[in-house]
Amino acid sequence: MLSCMDTNKAAACIVICGFFAGSRAFAGDAGSPQEWLDRMGSAVQVTNYAGTVVRVRDGEVDTFKVVHTVKDGVVREKVVIQDGNGLEIIRNGNEVHCILPDRRSVLVEEWNNQSTLFSTLPSSDIHFGNEYDVLIKDFERVAGRKAAKLAILPHDGFRYGYRIWLDTETGFPLQTQLIGDDNQPLEHVKFADISIRQDILSSALDPTHSTEDFKWYTEPRPTMKREVESDWNAVDVPSGFRVISTQQKLLPDAEDPLTHIVYGDGLVTVSVFIGPVTDGRKARRSSMGASNSYSTVIGDYRVTAVGQVPQITVEQIAKSMRQSR
Amino acid sequence: MNEAIRMQVSAFVDGELPENEAELLMRRLCQDADLRQPVSEYMAIGRIMRGEYSVPGSGVLRERIAAELDERPLQESADTVVAAQPPRFVRPVAGVAIAATVALVAIFGLGRVADVDDSVPASAVVAEEVVSETVPRMTEEQGQLFRLHGDDSESFFTRLISLEIRADELAEVSEFAADEAEEEAEEEAEEEADGTGPVTSQP
Repeated sequence: MLSCMDTNKAAACIVICGFFAGSRAFAGDAGSPQEWLDRMGSAVQVTNYAGTVVRVRDGEVDTFKVVHTVKDGVVREKVVIQDGNGLEIIRNGNEVHCILPDRRSVLVEEWNNQSTLFSTLPSSDIHFGNEYDVLIKDFERVAGRKAAKLAILPHDGFRYGYRIWLDTETGFPLQTQLIGDDNQPLEHVKFADISIRQDILSSALDPTHSTEDFKWYTEPRPTMKREVESDWNAVDVPSGFRVISTQQKLLPDAEDPLTHIVYGDGLVTVSVFIGPVTDGRKARRSSMGASNSYSTVIGDYRVTAVGQVPQITVEQIAKSMRQSR
Repeated sequence: MNEAIRMQVSAFVDGELPENEAELLMRRLCQDADLRQPVSEYMAIGRIMRGEYSVPGSGVLRERIAAELDERPLQESADTVVAAQPPRFVRPVAGVAIAATVALVAIFGLGRVADVDDSVPASAVVAEEVVSETVPRMTEEQGQLFRLHGDDSESFFTRLISLEIRADELAEVSEFAADEAEEEAEEEAEEEADGTGPVTSQP
C-alpha cells in the first residue's frame, strides 16, 4: 500500500534528477523531472488518502480498498482485498495485522517503517549512477486527476524501466508501471479512484471485523543477522551496481549462516546469498513475478542472486562471485 | 511416532479429529518436526489427485479422496487453490497455518514459478549449464531466499509474498506470550533469591 517514501528515497529521487536535469519539461507545467520526483518524495510522506487500487500482474487483476494516514510521523493504514476471501491488513506504524476473516485468524507481522503499495516506485538509498534517463513524457488523467507521466528509461538490458504518473496538484503517485525489455508493463498499479484529504477519520482505519475470538499467530523465531565483512565479491557486475550492505544471517533451523550481500544501482537491489551446498551441485533459475533468481555452485558454496531485475542480471552477478583467498 | 499419534494425524488430515484434539495436535506439530512427516505424506495425496505423480492405485485413491473432499470445504478449498497454482513451498505444519498460507496464495499467488535444473559436474568451479527440462517447482530454500530479499524491501507486495512464504512457520501468539511470562517469572524469582531484584516500596 501506499505509503511513504522515506527520506533516503526522496534523496535518491533528488540525485536521480540531478543526473538528468537536462531532461525536458513540458512548457506550461512547471517543473523539471528533478522537481517532479522531489515533489513525489515529499508527497508520499505526508499525504492522507482513501481510494481503490488496482494491480495487474501476470495477467491477474487484484483490487484493494485503501485508507492511509500519517500523523506525527506514524503511518496508519487499512487495506482490504476486494477479491478472494477478504484479507484485511491493518497497519499501525511498524506493526501489521493481517486479518483472515474466513479463517478467523490474525497474522502479526513487523514491517519496515516504510513500505509502498507501488512496488514499482524507485526506491533506494544509495548513490545513483548513469544507468537511467528520466524525463516527463506527457500529461494525462488518472483517477479523474491530472497527472504528469514520468518515464525512467534504463540504458541497458540489465534493469527494468518505470513509468510513474504524478498528481499535478500534490505530486502524489497515482499510477506506476514496471517495464520489461519488450517495453511492455510487467506490473501495473493504479488508483481507480482516490480522495486526497487531511480529514480522514481514524475510525476508517479500524478493522472491519471483531477479532476478539480470532486466533493470533506470529513468526516464532526471527532470523538472526549482523553486519560483517566478507571476502566474497562480484568480479563482473553490470555497470552501476555496487555493494550496499553485507550481513551474515542465521535462519531458524539452519546450522550454517548465510552471507547476504546486497548490490544496488540506485533504483533496484539484488541480493546475493552464499551458503553451504545442501541440495546437490546443480544450477537453477526461478522467477516470481518480475523478480528473478539464479543459483549456482562456486567451489564449495551455493551462490544465489535474487532481485527485481531481468534474469540475465542475477545470472551475471551470481556467476561472477568469487572468494578472495 | 506411536500408533495413537498416527491415528490422530490420520483423523486430523481427514477432518475427523474433534476440534479440541486438533488444537493440541497442531501445537505438537508446531513443536515436533518428526510429527510433520505423516501430515506431509497425507498432503501428498493432493498431489496425486492433481496427477503430478503416478503411483499404483492412485486412481482409486484419488476418487475416494475427491469424494471425501466434496464434503469438506476447507480441504477442498486448500487443494483447489494449490492445484490452480504451480506446486510451491507450502510446508504442511499446522492446520491454521496451512489455511493462512492457502488464503494468501489464493489472493496473491506467487506469479509464475519456473525452475530449470541444470546438471553440474562436481569438479566444476562454477556450475556449468546443461539445460534439462523445465520443472515448475521452487524449492523451499529458493522460496526462503526470495523471502529474505523481500524482507529488506519496502514493497508492500513483496512483503505480502514474504508473509505468504513464512505463513507455515507461524506460531500462535498466546503460546509465546505464555512462554515469555513464564521466563520472566522465573527470572524474577531468581533475582529475588539473589537479592538483586527490583526494590519494592514497603507500606
